[in-house]
Amino acid sequence: MKKVLSVLLAVMMVATILTGCSGGAKESNETSAKGEKVVKFGLLAPLTGTNAEYGKGFQIATQMAIDEINAAGGVNGYKLAIEVADSKGDQKESSDLARKFGDDKEIKAIIGDFASGACMANAPIVDAAGIVQLSPTASNPDYAGMSPYTFSIMGRQDAEAPFFAKYIIDKYLGAKSVALIYINSDWGVASHDNFVKGAEEVGLNIVAEANYVQDEKDFSSVLLKLKAADPEVLVIFDQGAVPQIVNQVAQLDWDVQITTLGPGTSQQILDLCGKNAEGLITSTPFFFDPESEAQTAWKKTFKEKAGFEPTVHPVVAYDCVYLLAKAIEMIGDGEVSRDAIRDNLQKAEIEGLAGPIKFSEAGDISRQYLICAVENGQFVIKEGYDYSK
Amino acid sequence: MNELFSKIKIFYEKHKLISFGIGLALLLAIPALFPKSYIMGIIDRILLYALLAGGLNVINGYSSQFCIGYAAFYCIGAYTEAIMSLRLNFNFWILLPISGIFAATAGLLVCLPTLKLKGKYLSIVTLGFSEIIRLIALNWSGLTGGPMGLKGIPVPNFFGIKIKSSISYYYIFLGLVIIFLFATSRVIKSKIGRAWLSIREDELAARSLGVETSKYKALNFMYGAFWAGVAGAAYAPYTRYIDSTFFTLDEGFNILSMVIIGGMGTLIGPVAGSIVVNLLTELLRPISEYRMVAYAILIIVMMWLRPQGLFGASNSILSGGKIKKKEERRKKKEVVV
Repeated sequence: MKKVLSVLLAVMMVATILTGCSGGAKESNETSAKGEKVVKFGLLAPLTGTNAEYGKGFQIATQMAIDEINAAGGVNGYKLAIEVADSKGDQKESSDLARKFGDDKEIKAIIGDFASGACMANAPIVDAAGIVQLSPTASNPDYAGMSPYTFSIMGRQDAEAPFFAKYIIDKYLGAKSVALIYINSDWGVASHDNFVKGAEEVGLNIVAEANYVQDEKDFSSVLLKLKAADPEVLVIFDQGAVPQIVNQVAQLDWDVQITTLGPGTSQQILDLCGKNAEGLITSTPFFFDPESEAQTAWKKTFKEKAGFEPTVHPVVAYDCVYLLAKAIEMIGDGEVSRDAIRDNLQKAEIEGLAGPIKFSEAGDISRQYLICAVENGQFVIKEGYDYSK
Repeated sequence: MNELFSKIKIFYEKHKLISFGIGLALLLAIPALFPKSYIMGIIDRILLYALLAGGLNVINGYSSQFCIGYAAFYCIGAYTEAIMSLRLNFNFWILLPISGIFAATAGLLVCLPTLKLKGKYLSIVTLGFSEIIRLIALNWSGLTGGPMGLKGIPVPNFFGIKIKSSISYYYIFLGLVIIFLFATSRVIKSKIGRAWLSIREDELAARSLGVETSKYKALNFMYGAFWAGVAGAAYAPYTRYIDSTFFTLDEGFNILSMVIIGGMGTLIGPVAGSIVVNLLTELLRPISEYRMVAYAILIIVMMWLRPQGLFGASNSILSGGKIKKKEERRKKKEVVV
């Protein structure tokens, strides 16, 4: 038995290595057979696991962008292609796949991953391989600065959170005392710290604050603590748990102005909170404006392909492809190499579906924000991008 | 095929040193055969998990204390290395044993109040401990960076050569696995190892024969935790960034599944488990969604056909009595004939 098993193991090992090598060779033949010049990107996304919804969104949105670009004749005579890899949202898998893309000379740039942790674990790998890793959603403020090859277009929290303090709480609502509740994650802590900085500048009084860990369900005790401090405004920093917190505030009969930083105009808030969400104010870099034809059409196509409503995440993934296409266009007649893409990506500027994109020195961007509120069960834009100017 | 095997076996028994030499040379040559960093990355992962699964096997397989929260010790080792090298500029090579000792101390702390607990009760305690350690790593922001994690962990330096890529890191993991296998094989054959085995087979009998079960169980737990700490310390500078999401309960279950698939109570079992599980992860990548299903089926089939795992100790209680019964039946038949 043991012998059979050891033979089996040996065969498996050889088989993996062979399939690993031959797979790459086959694809390059295919592309050359068609006689077209192809630039290939790699997409790292959690197609399975807890974040699978976002991974699927990435996959569909990037493919949409590529189909559009190819249908319009490609970029500089090049067609675009994408190879999708499932990172499961696990850092180790993501790193293995980043190495795989790094080894594959066909792949000119990597889009992904979804979570900051995986992106940061990949940073030394893409740095060594000299390949761009452009993350649509990495929110850790340290990520983009880790290597010249790491980029993120999520938008820095040191822009949104101070905007929230200065323009929503102070200017729009005219409130003076706030209570904060935030998730203890890289994003939550960074947002909170930046909010506090902005609040100090305009002289806001933070009367109470509390945090909680991911997947917590019952917030009544922390909310009671915040209620006791009697603030004018409550600020929630989270994406997933916002509906629960809003509902539990209502259960406590606490009549307070609720504002939330993070979820944007999430459909979930409307669905899960109903009347409780009425009057809620949020900031968002992007809003599907029902009056904008381009956005409505995009939303419709996405929903047809994916079977679910898009959030902001697939939209930024879609922008990533256009950003890379722009970088390739800027190379012009030069050879499309990994380094050429990096250098031009740094300088690229586009008007994305989710707002304008222009990289800072470190490789991340500062976004501009809209102020939205819930009125009659719908999100409406209260103030436009120019409110902070 | 069988002839070839028996020839190899005879050769191995005659020239043990030469066989080891050939094996080592083959292992050292692997990076030359696979210059792609992707494949080396997978081989590195196999070695890392061989070390972790091996350490867990010492606890679960040799003394039958069932530890589920093994990721806790791994976490302690990784954070010890990361914090000490970032804050105190300690050398990687010194930090390897230090991290191991930290993890072993934690192992002792878990073990002391639970010495009287057995089976599932001990499992639940280790489960809780694993979550506690992860939450400490998440919430003690001053020390561990909290949710921001620790980045820029310095890479090890080997006589002036910076060990950065997955190819050069292979030698570190390989060295650790060889040291682990050698040390453990010596320990198992010693008085301590025999005490562990006797506790595994029958604790009451062991005690009645004068084995100080509490002491040996604590030692066993510490030894297993030590190697998780070493593995963590080797892993932290490999990724150069760690945060608490690396060390969830899932990670503990992942290591446990390798031990179960590979087989408990033998040295080679966890190594085989690590190879099978990690290779399957790569081989089944094309069927993405069904990958986890295939994985679960493998475990169920394993439990059914070979409860002691691929290379498990078949002459022990770990095999669930299946093998013994078969042999007994065969013996009976022979007697009748």
